[in-house]
Amino acid sequence: MSFATRTWDGMSLRARLLAILIPVAIVAALVTVGAILLLGPPFLDFLGANMPLVRFVVAAVAILLLTVPTAFILIYLELKVIARMNLRVGPNRIGPWGAAMSVIHGLKVLSKEDFAPTGTDVTVFTLAPVVTYMASVMSLLVIPFAPGLFGQDFNIGLLFFFSMGGLTVVGLLMAGWSSFNKYSLLGGLRSAAQIISYEIPLTLSVVGVIILAGSMSMNRIVLAQSGSMLDWFVFKQPLAALIFFIAATAEANRTPFDMTEADSEIVAGFATEYSGMRFGFFFFAEYVNVFIVSALTATVFFGGWTAPFNWPWAYNLNWFHPLSFGILGWVLIVANVVLVGTVLFAIAARLLGGREWGLWDALGLGFLFLLVAVAGLVGTAGFIAFDWVAGIVWFMAKTYFFVITFVWMRATLPRVRVDQLMGFAWKWLLPASLLNLFVTAAAVILTTPGGAR
Amino acid sequence: MPAPQHPPRPQTARPAASAASPASAASPASKGARRTRRPAERQPSLDDPRIMLDRQISSDLYEPIPPYPTRTEREAEFYTLGDGEMFLNVGPHHPATHGVLRLVLKLSGEQIVDVDPVLGYLHRGVEKICENSDYYHVIDQVDPLEYLSSLFQEWPAVLSFEKLMDVEVPRRAEYIRVLSGELLRISSHILYMGFLALDLGGLTPILYGFIERDEIVEMLAALTGARMLFNYFRIGGVNGDLNHEFMSRLGDWMSRAGRQTEANAGLLNENEIFVRRMRGVGTLDRATALSYGVTGGNLRASGVPFDVRRAHPYSIYPELEFNIPTRDEGDSLARYLIRVDEIRESLKIIDQCLHNMPDGPVMAKLPRLLRPRPGRAWGAVEGPRGMLGVYAISDGSDQPFRFRIHDPSFVNLETVTTLLPGHLLADTMAVVASLDPVMGGIDK
Amino acid sequence: MDRSLRSRLEARLGDYLRAPVYQRNDETEIRIDPGAVPEVLRLLHDSVDLRFEILADLAGVDTGEVMQVVYHLWSPMSFDWLRIVADGLSRDDPRAPSATFLWIGAEWLEREAYDMFGIIFEGNRDLRRIFMPPDYTSFPLRKDFLLPDDAARSPGGGVRHVERTHAPATLADDPKAGIRRAPVS
Repeated sequence: MSFATRTWDGMSLRARLLAILIPVAIVAALVTVGAILLLGPPFLDFLGANMPLVRFVVAAVAILLLTVPTAFILIYLELKVIARMNLRVGPNRIGPWGAAMSVIHGLKVLSKEDFAPTGTDVTVFTLAPVVTYMASVMSLLVIPFAPGLFGQDFNIGLLFFFSMGGLTVVGLLMAGWSSFNKYSLLGGLRSAAQIISYEIPLTLSVVGVIILAGSMSMNRIVLAQSGSMLDWFVFKQPLAALIFFIAATAEANRTPFDMTEADSEIVAGFATEYSGMRFGFFFFAEYVNVFIVSALTATVFFGGWTAPFNWPWAYNLNWFHPLSFGILGWVLIVANVVLVGTVLFAIAARLLGGREWGLWDALGLGFLFLLVAVAGLVGTAGFIAFDWVAGIVWFMAKTYFFVITFVWMRATLPRVRVDQLMGFAWKWLLPASLLNLFVTAAAVILTTPGGAR
Repeated sequence: MPAPQHPPRPQTARPAASAASPASAASPASKGARRTRRPAERQPSLDDPRIMLDRQISSDLYEPIPPYPTRTEREAEFYTLGDGEMFLNVGPHHPATHGVLRLVLKLSGEQIVDVDPVLGYLHRGVEKICENSDYYHVIDQVDPLEYLSSLFQEWPAVLSFEKLMDVEVPRRAEYIRVLSGELLRISSHILYMGFLALDLGGLTPILYGFIERDEIVEMLAALTGARMLFNYFRIGGVNGDLNHEFMSRLGDWMSRAGRQTEANAGLLNENEIFVRRMRGVGTLDRATALSYGVTGGNLRASGVPFDVRRAHPYSIYPELEFNIPTRDEGDSLARYLIRVDEIRESLKIIDQCLHNMPDGPVMAKLPRLLRPRPGRAWGAVEGPRGMLGVYAISDGSDQPFRFRIHDPSFVNLETVTTLLPGHLLADTMAVVASLDPVMGGIDK
Repeated sequence: MDRSLRSRLEARLGDYLRAPVYQRNDETEIRIDPGAVPEVLRLLHDSVDLRFEILADLAGVDTGEVMQVVYHLWSPMSFDWLRIVADGLSRDDPRAPSATFLWIGAEWLEREAYDMFGIIFEGNRDLRRIFMPPDYTSFPLRKDFLLPDDAARSPGGGVRHVERTHAPATLADDPKAGIRRAPVS
């Protein structure tokens, strides 16, 4: 029996694992470093040569990943806000103030059985949530979050958005048709009728904006509104903004118009037979749609990422340049700030909390407070120094304003009937949007010297 | 009619074989074979999508046609589909059917062509149980029928027994009965408003309603000891006098009840979507309402001022001042608004009861074992949903010989057969909710 | 007690009454033959001095010897409830005319009476069980249906119709069975 065998037999399981893993890790690290040294520069050159493609892939992945936390936040927001409006408490068990509730929902949905009931057309049944979710994610691609921060700047951005919105109905119709359930069928057909009807006023209402901005590109539309609040299109096109918001509510299947899943009539409609992650996809897509619709309202009519008023001092803070301190300076600053800040906050917590807080409690709390304070400071600094930070803050503020409006409507309004819904679209919204279009076009022709281009 | 047919079950684990002989799978021989099967053999589930995929689904697999020869011409007519029509089972487990009501709708698109309500999912034979329990026990047997306002189900029972035995009820007991009854009427109407909004898709009114209902139910719990099934009325009085907790809770609530009710009603009355969904939907005209024997708010919404409290006064109602709100439209909105008006009238009645409450005993002197003389009595009271009646026959023993319960929801619900056809599927919920059925009472 | 109602009833329905008009508390009761139900109801409903326009209740009663159908009516012209007892239906084949020609709402009430007692209302377009399942064979509120009894063993009482799918057990099968009979009515 050799030395190696005896040593191996004497080792515990953990030690054996380490004994295997450490050499493997060393070899892997060496190989990686070598590969980077050898292949890195040409790979970087390759990436640099294909910059638009790389940018697109990165943006697409980021947006796909963005949908999940967005949906989580929106679900939690809806649970909590509606609860407060109903004089309830809402979720308060998981996470601070129940904030992890929707994450747990997502995990629950993931852990359920992947199940197709008897008689369903399994292929279509499986594809339907994917199509719906895909349509939502692809709509998100054209939305400019901040200057330079967008998935893709199509020059037909709005048109792309509407076509993707139209794709949602395909998914819902597939779900309704393949579910082998009459409630689902009714829900699917309702969604087809509803979304096709509301596409028309939705599209027509932004034509005025397109005339004014001279482009269908989302970025151009935002830039056309830059300046101050008065340049926002909502003040130039108030009727269009109203029509757009109403039609967008119907487009996103939100409450006064949630005919497709009217839970007290057709029992969740197209989603009746769905469970598990397939249902989760529908659920996610709904909330991503709410986000998208809010974002689009903010973009097209409320100036997108532009600030409502100008910041004269925004870009004058030249003393704050991250490289002016040097690396050692930064290390010193960070270490001192962490130590001093933690201690200061801990003392404050200890003083305020009295003997309730132990020493370690106070220190931990102090560190938490410090993190919050530093995050706030860094955020403020970034807001002031970088215009994409400011842009994303303004964009999100506007978007979440509309998200909360949707939630508010859900808590307040009953559901309209299906014939009233269609009647409203065809008898009121469509003529109103046409009127808006004609008035806008006439105004542009009259005010442009030498007539329209 | 097609013969009764079970869904063809695959006989073996091989899907191809089952597809080849779907008819023989249902034959008795194969049933016998299944019983003697070894447990190791796996029976493919009908829910397995793989099996369903490579087999043609037989067209009668999910037909709602009853698996027995139709019994009446009406049933045969109903269960025959016309061109482009389909059946839709709403219930028995459906969020908007207020319990376990099942409505078989015959739809053409989303338009309702005909409707066949199917009852009995909650039937427990309470009348039979009452005929086998003594007079005191009857009261708590009937409690769960009208579970939203169970005092109103006790009331006609004790009323008819008091008539059978010629018992004089003390005036204070009558006042307490009216007081608690009107409180419960308000509670029931508040829930009605909330559930109506819920069935139309509004989330909030029901929760606002539950706040008020909880106040009322808590104060009644202080009075009677229970929150829902009170078992409080007794033959010849009530079980226990007013107490301090009840009175203080009542005073506290009365100081803001009117304002709160108006606020809750305003949430719906001034909502354009709500009003448009209710107006002109499910219109019940006066003649039809009378011929259906509809009672309560549903009848008064059609313009007939029939309220048992005035039409055939019982208890101390002749001494009280209140109005009988009526409306002429007869649609769902009128039925709803009648309820709102009734809440206001009930608040007036409660106020008068509190001001005129006499002193005295709350129970008449009665023997422990009641053996009324043979006879018959009919007692009827006005509940939140209409007239609740009890027809009791005594044979001289300590149990009622016949105990007939008339429930208003039963008759009110019957009108859906004329109200629904011609409307849309979404109106089903508005109409059914506006009729305010309570399935416990309907199914008895 | 509405004495004038009594005289009005006697004047209008003198020939139909099988027993003198009986009044107690706030109830007036008349007793008629089942065959006379349509005429009597029509008279009560349409006469200008009676106007019994609300059908408060329709109930079946099994006295142990005969079956009855009991109607309760309300009229704005009187402060009494009117009870009409259609008396003397045979227990073996209880048949009574339907009241649906006057009150559509009687349809379900009659279905209930049929479901519970097996009383067949001739003229009701939809006389099928309403509470009990369609393959049920007996009538639970009959006096020979005993409470702890298994429904399948309970006697159906000689009524022949579509619900009868097998011959039910008879009373003789159960030695403890006994019928409570009403000394009155």
